[in-house]
Amino acid sequence: MLPFPLRIQPGLPISEQLVYAVKKAVISGLLKPGSKFPSVRAVSQELRIHPNTAHKAIAVLVGEGLLEVHPGIGTVVGQIPAAPTEKELKLLEGEVERLVVEAKNRRLRLDDLQRIVKQQWNRLTGE
Amino acid sequence: MSCRFGKVEAVRNLTLAVLAGSIYAFLGTNGAGKTTTIKTLLNLIKPDSGTARVLGADSTLLGPRELAQIGYVSENQELPERLTVKQLIAYCRSLYPTWDESLCRRLTEKFALPADRPMKGFSRGMKIKAALLVSLAYRPQLLLLDEPFSGLDPLVRDDLIQGMLELSEQENWTVFISSHDIEEVERLADHVGIIDSGVLTLSESSENLRTRFRRVDAILEEGATASPALFKDGLLPEVSGSTIRWVESHYVNDEELGSRIKAWLPDCRAWTGTPLTLREIFISLTRAQRAASPLSL
Repeated sequence: MLPFPLRIQPGLPISEQLVYAVKKAVISGLLKPGSKFPSVRAVSQELRIHPNTAHKAIAVLVGEGLLEVHPGIGTVVGQIPAAPTEKELKLLEGEVERLVVEAKNRRLRLDDLQRIVKQQWNRLTGE
Repeated sequence: MSCRFGKVEAVRNLTLAVLAGSIYAFLGTNGAGKTTTIKTLLNLIKPDSGTARVLGADSTLLGPRELAQIGYVSENQELPERLTVKQLIAYCRSLYPTWDESLCRRLTEKFALPADRPMKGFSRGMKIKAALLVSLAYRPQLLLLDEPFSGLDPLVRDDLIQGMLELSEQENWTVFISSHDIEEVERLADHVGIIDSGVLTLSESSENLRTRFRRVDAILEEGATASPALFKDGLLPEVSGSTIRWVESHYVNDEELGSRIKAWLPDCRAWTGTPLTLREIFISLTRAQRAASPLSL
């Protein structure tokens, strides 16, 4: 069994969906820093996806530091750095802009948006 | 290549490349030309024109050496039914120098086949499992599967897929799998081709295919009308009152599609784009293709 849930949906590349599922599992604490992450083979077998697809997703996660490869041990969940860098905050700008545009289009006010962001934050992270 | 049987052109000017290391799903309705293509790749049929190259060799020159690196399982698989699975394994083991005994044991366990009963009494699912077992155990470089899942229950299909993935740690392992039911190969395949009436209508990475289609529903302002001719790039346009629906085949993102819709339909009040499953994409493409070139069957 994989240590994170994933239901594959139409419309998006499977590797992107896999990356997202792992990120979500990390922030919710389902995947603990330092714990072992399944191999490409295990991910491919469990999800019945092409090994190249699993490989691609894991490579992205390693590139972003969410997973770490330790020779002889395998892949483990990376440590979450304490504070985000300016560069990491910049990466989110596009997503935030989209969120503001959608919210404004639906006639939401800023405090409505803040409220639902906070709800999701609490739901996903348990904070 | 092209293949004809009498007056029927089963495969017409097919040009197709399957990359080493990919799992290629070759989709088409019954009679589309899938089996003919696969049989050509195995030198069971000679193309009437053109050539097929398999593992670097012309398909009409395939000899025992190349065939020992190809696994083949078809819907109408014939097995020596008087034999038991144990006897079948013993027989095949002696034929293939690359036979992997430990893989064979793992697959036997996974497929839960009775070892000592003649296969004559086996269900369809058990027979296909036995055929796949002896085709995987010699670790072929190329696996050709012709409708392996048709008529099988979901559990057996899942066993077969898991069995195939047992080979996945092997370098440059290529699978060419034909099917009329897309769902079963949707996750597995990294490349997809669609053939209809002998003509290849599409061949691309499944990542691309998954992302570039949306069903669009656009609602116009009261009283406004639009002609479906506006959407010559969209598939299967339908107009009903002030609602227009079509399948968008070059979707990039909502922003880009939104600006195109605005240009086409200044009277558009609202629109939504819904992702399509591979099955819906297959149906839309095949219908659109047939609407564009009605066949004289």
